Amino acid sequence: MWKFIAKRVGQMIVLFYIFLALLFVLLDLQPGDISQQFVGNPDIPPEAKQLMIDQLGLDEPKHIQLFNHLKNYSTFNMGASWSQYPRDVSDILFSALPRTIYLFLTATILAYILGFWTGKIVAWKRNTATEKAVMGTSIFLWTVFYPWFAILMLWFFAAYLDWFPVGKFVTLNFESRPDLVNSISDVLFRTSGSEAASGWTSSAAPGANDVFMLLFTSLIVGTIAFFGIRWIVKRQVKDPTTQARLFTGGTVLVFGGFVLYWITNEYGPWAFDIFWHSVIPVMTLTLVSYAGTTLLTRTSMIETLKEDYILTARAKGVPDVTIRDRHSARNAMLPVTTSLVLALATVIGGGIITEQIFSWPGIGQTYLAALSSEDIPLTMGALALIGILALIAHLVADILYAYLDPRIRVQG
Amino acid sequence: MTQVVEIESRGGRAGTTLLEVDHVVMNYTTKEGDVSAVEDVTFDLKNGESLGLVGESGCGKTSMALSLLRLLPDNGEIRQGRILLDGEDLVELSEEAMRQRRWRDVSMVFQGAMNSWNPVYTVGDQIREALRLHWPTTLTYTEETERIAALFEMVGLNSAMIERYPHEFSGGMRQRAVIAMALSCNPKLIIADEPTTALDVIVQDQILKELKEVQAELGMSIIYISHDIAVIAEVTDRIGVMYAGKLVELGDTLEVFHRPRHPYAYLLLGSTPSITGPRRKLSPLEGEPPNLLDPPKGCRFHPRCPFASDRCKSEEPPMTDIGGGHEVACFHWEEVPEIRELSK
Repeated sequence: MWKFIAKRVGQMIVLFYIFLALLFVLLDLQPGDISQQFVGNPDIPPEAKQLMIDQLGLDEPKHIQLFNHLKNYSTFNMGASWSQYPRDVSDILFSALPRTIYLFLTATILAYILGFWTGKIVAWKRNTATEKAVMGTSIFLWTVFYPWFAILMLWFFAAYLDWFPVGKFVTLNFESRPDLVNSISDVLFRTSGSEAASGWTSSAAPGANDVFMLLFTSLIVGTIAFFGIRWIVKRQVKDPTTQARLFTGGTVLVFGGFVLYWITNEYGPWAFDIFWHSVIPVMTLTLVSYAGTTLLTRTSMIETLKEDYILTARAKGVPDVTIRDRHSARNAMLPVTTSLVLALATVIGGGIITEQIFSWPGIGQTYLAALSSEDIPLTMGALALIGILALIAHLVADILYAYLDPRIRVQG
Repeated sequence: MTQVVEIESRGGRAGTTLLEVDHVVMNYTTKEGDVSAVEDVTFDLKNGESLGLVGESGCGKTSMALSLLRLLPDNGEIRQGRILLDGEDLVELSEEAMRQRRWRDVSMVFQGAMNSWNPVYTVGDQIREALRLHWPTTLTYTEETERIAALFEMVGLNSAMIERYPHEFSGGMRQRAVIAMALSCNPKLIIADEPTTALDVIVQDQILKELKEVQAELGMSIIYISHDIAVIAEVTDRIGVMYAGKLVELGDTLEVFHRPRHPYAYLLLGSTPSITGPRRKLSPLEGEPPNLLDPPKGCRFHPRCPFASDRCKSEEPPMTDIGGGHEVACFHWEEVPEIRELSK
């Protein structure tokens, strides 16, 4: 297993460098490149131009430039952003990344759990009114024009019902808590702070990222703890009753710990505010990808239900629910997992529409802003990051697959 | 502890009746109409006995087997008849009661040595599942493992294989493991549906020997289902020949094999080469089995039968005992010659 992962990681690194080189070549071939934007600009005095050429190494031959590019990226040195000079590209990206991951990971995991559950039940109850209703809804959600649907959701839940805030990331004023103020980031408010109504101003900004990072980290730790406990228990404890007890105990422990932590934490209200802002975007994303998961799970389930081992299980006198969950759904999970992880890879890069509509300051928005302001280092950085995320998603898919399907595990 | 490991049959004293299939009619409902897959089949089975069901593909052998366990697909239905296991009618049982009988009283050895195992669980765990469902007392994990190891040993598998996944087994090993699983809950009856079909001849022979030895040792009843009459003749006490959903001949294996009385059985045997018997010309069985959506009137075999008369076209021949428990459903059974006479 470890050999398998090591091999995959090795392949990933090679692929990543090829991807970086390709990015460099592509951007170099584009019109409107670095030399035209600054060096060719008649308003810039020649000394400044020369300085720039020297600093950026533009007088070097192309292959040296490419080598420098790869070398810099190896040490996470992505240069300074032009539109937000002198902030480092890596700094901008790494403050936007958790927000994107939070949004899409939450939505995807929710959609997967709910969609898988619905899909398997629908496949089991074929030709019933339930199936028809679920199928109709799913096909609608799957084919709906996404931006329109997102705006509809915003209108309904934020404007019409007025349950949740319209877009943005956080509303509570951090000024009331000067001890939270620090100077980590103002990127957040470049995209979300222009509206005065929320009480946000650039100077009140700091701290939001701190709170968010804490929320994000605690969520990740909680999730890992939850699945980690299940995994260890499944490995170590063979007796089914003890297993079930430990599962429940573990769940209560993790969930209780999480809630307790945030109730007692002084950042609690801010964390809740951020969470409150994420409800509509998460809900919209979840609904759309939930539909896809449901449809795929249903098809996959119907296939596995025809397998011989299902007949074996029935002959064994296995109760229907166990056949559905343990025998059929477990096998139907394989194609669904692939689609899920690959969807995750594309959704992180393709989250531009979502982040734009919900004013969610993540990678998608950063990328779009960088593109429109011809901020080449930031564009490059964003693209490289999206590439890394896609590669990681594939690695996760491979590992999950090996975990789910013993036939893959052995080949190593 | 020894009780857990003890592999036995819970069937009654040898020679007493275990299973009675009484005029069973089974239909599949399709868009084109009803398919009569099993039509008025009657036979019985004694404790410790082995019975073979043979016939071409689509003649209702597997439908018959699935009816015994009520494992029919949603569109399959037992319309008439009784299936008595130890005097209890399985057709009348509730779904839950039937579920509890499955594997505990009647287990199956499926033909799909390749596909009858769920690929994502170890073989041991899949046998364990049967034990957890049907063993009368709750066993500890160690006791379960002990029993599975004993089962593996019985069918000639290394007990180290318990923790392995199905894809790590060869075809023959998988089939042995299937037998081990079938024995796991000490059943009264095992239904072996094409147990050796996907295997090469050598493994096929080993598996059949294994089953025969297991039966000799434990004394449960076995129903073998196969399209290959030669395979079945080796291991069974009696043979039933099925054609187009009907049982057309039933009798002692040697008698049916060497002196078939139904024209279909006669032609089926005539189309199989014999290694030990005298050299003879093979006579292929012409035509195809009828469409069961609309089976022929009268005897279902009459369109392909060389002995058919006008009576066969209108009247259905009943099963008649021709002596010694040998039953044939044919008006012209006396005209059917000995197989030897086929040779020129």
